[in-house]
Amino acid sequence: MRLIVARCEITYSGRLSTFLPMGVRLVMIKADGSVQVHSDGGGSKAKPQNWMTPPTAIEIEGDPPERIEVRKLNGSELLEVAIEEVLADISHEADLAIPLEKDGVERDLQELLAERPVHCGEGFRLVRREWPTDIGPVDLMCRDDADGWIAVEIKRIGTIEAVEQLARYLERIRIDPAMADCRGVLVAQTIKPQARTLAGARGIACVEVSLEELRGTREPELKLFAA
Amino acid sequence: MLRVTLTADSLLADLQTAARIASSRSAVQALSGVLVSAAGDYLELQATDMEVSLRVRLSASVEEPGEVVLPARLLLDIVRSLPGASVTLAERSDHHDVEIASGNAVFAVRTLRRDDFPRLPEPPTGGVQLAAQAFVDTIARVARSASRDDTRPVLTGIMVHASGGELRMVATDSYRLSVKTTALDEAVSDSFEANVPARALQELSRIVAQSEADHVTIGRLENQVVFAVHGAGGPATISSRLIDGQFPSYQQLLPESVEHELRVDREELVSVTRRISLLAQKNAPLRLAFAEGQLQVSAQTPDIGEAHETLPVPFHGEAFEIGFNPEFFRDGLESVDSPEVLLRLTSPLRPGLIESADESGFVYLVMPIRLGT
Repeated sequence: MRLIVARCEITYSGRLSTFLPMGVRLVMIKADGSVQVHSDGGGSKAKPQNWMTPPTAIEIEGDPPERIEVRKLNGSELLEVAIEEVLADISHEADLAIPLEKDGVERDLQELLAERPVHCGEGFRLVRREWPTDIGPVDLMCRDDADGWIAVEIKRIGTIEAVEQLARYLERIRIDPAMADCRGVLVAQTIKPQARTLAGARGIACVEVSLEELRGTREPELKLFAA
Repeated sequence: MLRVTLTADSLLADLQTAARIASSRSAVQALSGVLVSAAGDYLELQATDMEVSLRVRLSASVEEPGEVVLPARLLLDIVRSLPGASVTLAERSDHHDVEIASGNAVFAVRTLRRDDFPRLPEPPTGGVQLAAQAFVDTIARVARSASRDDTRPVLTGIMVHASGGELRMVATDSYRLSVKTTALDEAVSDSFEANVPARALQELSRIVAQSEADHVTIGRLENQVVFAVHGAGGPATISSRLIDGQFPSYQQLLPESVEHELRVDREELVSVTRRISLLAQKNAPLRLAFAEGQLQVSAQTPDIGEAHETLPVPFHGEAFEIGFNPEFFRDGLESVDSPEVLLRLTSPLRPGLIESADESGFVYLVMPIRLGT
């Protein structure tokens, strides 16, 4: 991986045309042929200002570099970096991409909620994880104090699509006369207002949970009532 | 084709309210506008974001009646900057714009599609009439407790209940609860109960303050509430969608008895709370440690610093410490309208009560924060 911090101006032509006037930027040239240009801003997006994905042909003129030309091999895109001053230029061999070890994904939530189904609703006890239906498994099947069935769908973020998905599962589950009264609960770390509204209209309950509280690393906030 | 002249100041005052209500993020462009209509001897401004709507009339010299929709923010910025004391709005239909002239300045602003602007509710006929000042005072006492979290719509409202000679408003965000009961000088003719978005009531408060109105009339449509204000400037109507859903049964949350009841000077406790809260950053709690005859208020933020201050209070019994969200605790104290507050506490994990000590009917219930060692 080569990292060049330089005062440069950048021209891109291809799907559209862009121009970045002279300024200090980081040009990152990776071994896979991708090139990214970063500024010192960008905020929450954390995206490069310019980039070219592989496969590319990269020509670097001069030492220190005066001009970098990046051409897309299977198209007509061209990224040209005209360098006025090189401030730093280093190369290192970096490790190839190793998959991220993600924490707090749906799987983690499902495992924690399977261990503590009462967080999905008062008196809930687990019957089975991944309860099969003919259109796919519902995350948890629980029963409550009155032995009623409850299908629980777990998401990191509860959206309208999650409500629709659970509604489809419920439709299939309720075909069995013994489970005709099966209720649905959507459990997520955050539930979108639109999803909450749709869930209300579909008779599906919504429950927000905190990963930290489920893991016991944070005490639940004290509330006047369960909201 | 609309042609109307009026004073720039009066237009500016009402446009500021209208621009706050006009939608800032709707896909329908007309909703970001204000409907300006002229008829008789008045000009009417209408604005809505489809949740809260406003109609306000102001005196004007109408040469030709008509109505146009103009971009609210831009119109406000223009009127705010006008050089003259009066302003003339003249529609030019062949240009699809309105000429705004004041002094030597002339603006031409394109109109938005009139057909896309919805019909807003008319002022209520009949309805419940309430003293305006009592109404807005009651809003001010409870509004801070309404939730700003749109994922819990039912908690973003203020439950308004008027019956006989009593007006009661309740708001809660599940961490605190405000209840204000106001005795009315005149009994209301009909009872009224609805969960009204706090935002609508806060706008209504501003309009009442601006218009110095005596009375507010409340009318109820199927799923809307309409408030009419008859003030010095001209009649104004603010309408709002009502919030569906079950409002929490708040009565059962209010404890019937407590362990400790302390009467404390409100101003002093507010000052101490404000000072010490400066060191309660990053969600750090405000700590209240009660011991015989004194209260120590303290806060500590790791890597920032700590603060503490002691004040005398009539506390007797076993010492204990309780923590609160500093902002919530201060909101409670500041919402009290009497020189003294009653602090009613039981234990570190039970909700605390802040009440006005003059029996003016204000109760603020706030949940504590668990304190580490």
